Amino acid sequence: MSDVFKLMGVYAKTTAKSWFQYRVDAVLKSLAVFLREATGIIVIWFTLLKFDQLNGWDIYEMLFLFSLLFLTYGIMIIFFTGLRDFGRTVRDGSFDRFLLRPRGLLFQIIFVNSDWFAAIGHGGLGITLFLISAGKVGIQWNLAHAVYYLFAVAGGVLIQGAVFLVLAALNIYLLETNSLKELLYWNMRKFAGYPISIFHKAIQFIMIYVMPFAFVNYFPAQYLLRKSDMAQYPEIFLYLTPAVGIGMYLLAYLFWRFSIRYYKSSGN
Amino acid sequence: MRIAPYFAYARKCFLGRSAYRFDHLMSILSTCMQFFIFWGIYRALYGANSEIDGITFSMVTTNFILSMGLGAVFCPDDYFLPNKIWDGSIATELLRPISFKGRMIAENLGNAAFDLLFRFLPVLVIALLTVGVSAPASPVMLLLFLFSAFLGYGVLWTISFAVQMTSFWLINIWSLLTIKNVFVNVLSGSMIPLWFMPEWMNGILNFTPFSSIYFTPVQIYLGQLSYGEIAFKCGVQVLWIAGIYLIGNFLWKKGQQKLVVQGG
Repeated sequence: MSDVFKLMGVYAKTTAKSWFQYRVDAVLKSLAVFLREATGIIVIWFTLLKFDQLNGWDIYEMLFLFSLLFLTYGIMIIFFTGLRDFGRTVRDGSFDRFLLRPRGLLFQIIFVNSDWFAAIGHGGLGITLFLISAGKVGIQWNLAHAVYYLFAVAGGVLIQGAVFLVLAALNIYLLETNSLKELLYWNMRKFAGYPISIFHKAIQFIMIYVMPFAFVNYFPAQYLLRKSDMAQYPEIFLYLTPAVGIGMYLLAYLFWRFSIRYYKSSGN
Repeated sequence: MRIAPYFAYARKCFLGRSAYRFDHLMSILSTCMQFFIFWGIYRALYGANSEIDGITFSMVTTNFILSMGLGAVFCPDDYFLPNKIWDGSIATELLRPISFKGRMIAENLGNAAFDLLFRFLPVLVIALLTVGVSAPASPVMLLLFLFSAFLGYGVLWTISFAVQMTSFWLINIWSLLTIKNVFVNVLSGSMIPLWFMPEWMNGILNFTPFSSIYFTPVQIYLGQLSYGEIAFKCGVQVLWIAGIYLIGNFLWKKGQQKLVVQGG
């Protein structure tokens, strides 16, 4: 077991070295990701300077809602960069190398590469927003709430990880899934920064049952904030995030295991 | 200067775009999503109010659909020069007997024409069928809107042109271009109608080119400006185009002197 951790350490070191080879560029890149992701937040900040609140949510509550989305993505991408870029690994045939090594496939994919710019950009933004908002939204930070928060973050990481895992597995059949990811993941994620109650019922349905971003940030935030627009959803949704995360991840993992058996190399 | 080769480049770009149909459908969908998010936000913000500060909800809807629709057309290829510097093909590009900048404009206009027909119009039709869009204030204002939108494209194009020129020195300008796009997205009015920007922010914006891109055309379309104001604002657009182009062109000349092609 100890050699596994050693291997993880070696992989982390080589990735960090290669990413930070050009230092000025690395700093600028993190800043650019940070700003690009903050676009929606800057916009909502300016908007709420004028309007004070969006469907009952004030600016700090909105920042808190956003923070969960970014924090979970930042943590997720440390582990799942390899799955995000899995299409390329399959297309150029380097997946064959993974198959030959004496370690688990998922282990290698997870630890061989991490996109630290995305992790720092998204995660840093998430933490910044949390620090700005957590004290100003009226949450009593007792032990129960802190534990709930940790479970909610873990659940949110697993939900998004499961989506990436399924899309990666689909690469084995389709070779090209970027457009599908764009459609299912990135487009729906744009809605996730805002209270879903302001959108059309069809969008709400997708956010809860199809691509469950609502469980990544809206319902966990609602558990801690208890805004009045929660009245239209079943109360049980407040507690489901970890279960949804574990359930989705298990299903995704089974699908991955099943798909891997059908892998045919595209390389030469 | 012969125009035929440039027209051929524009045509090539236009036709090349029609090869990727699925990607194109995705980009239409993405623009629609963006529109519906902000439409949803402002519907919630307006609530029962029919107007806020004299701005009706249908004006807000029209602002979003026009500026996001134009945004789908106004996508000059930010990596036109950087990619050629990155892979060294700039060396052969400069040897061709046609103007590099002319070709850059031609290819971008070819793309813009394609997006105008196959992105702006579909999105506009979807918006008309679902939420409705205000009619232009008058036929004259519609024509002036088109004229001013064309100038708006010019402003956005020269900004991209000038930033691209820094790649002679910086080689990898992904970060710089990304930051530029954040500024354009936030400050041009396509995500926050500039009517609702704080007073002090609009004061600052008057000294930047961003409100000239989409907001000036939108205001003309809605009939918010008198003829005198239209002349003034279009003059401002022309000044920005000229000013930013001169900076970009200065960098373009300096850059060619210092160009180093890696490998070969």
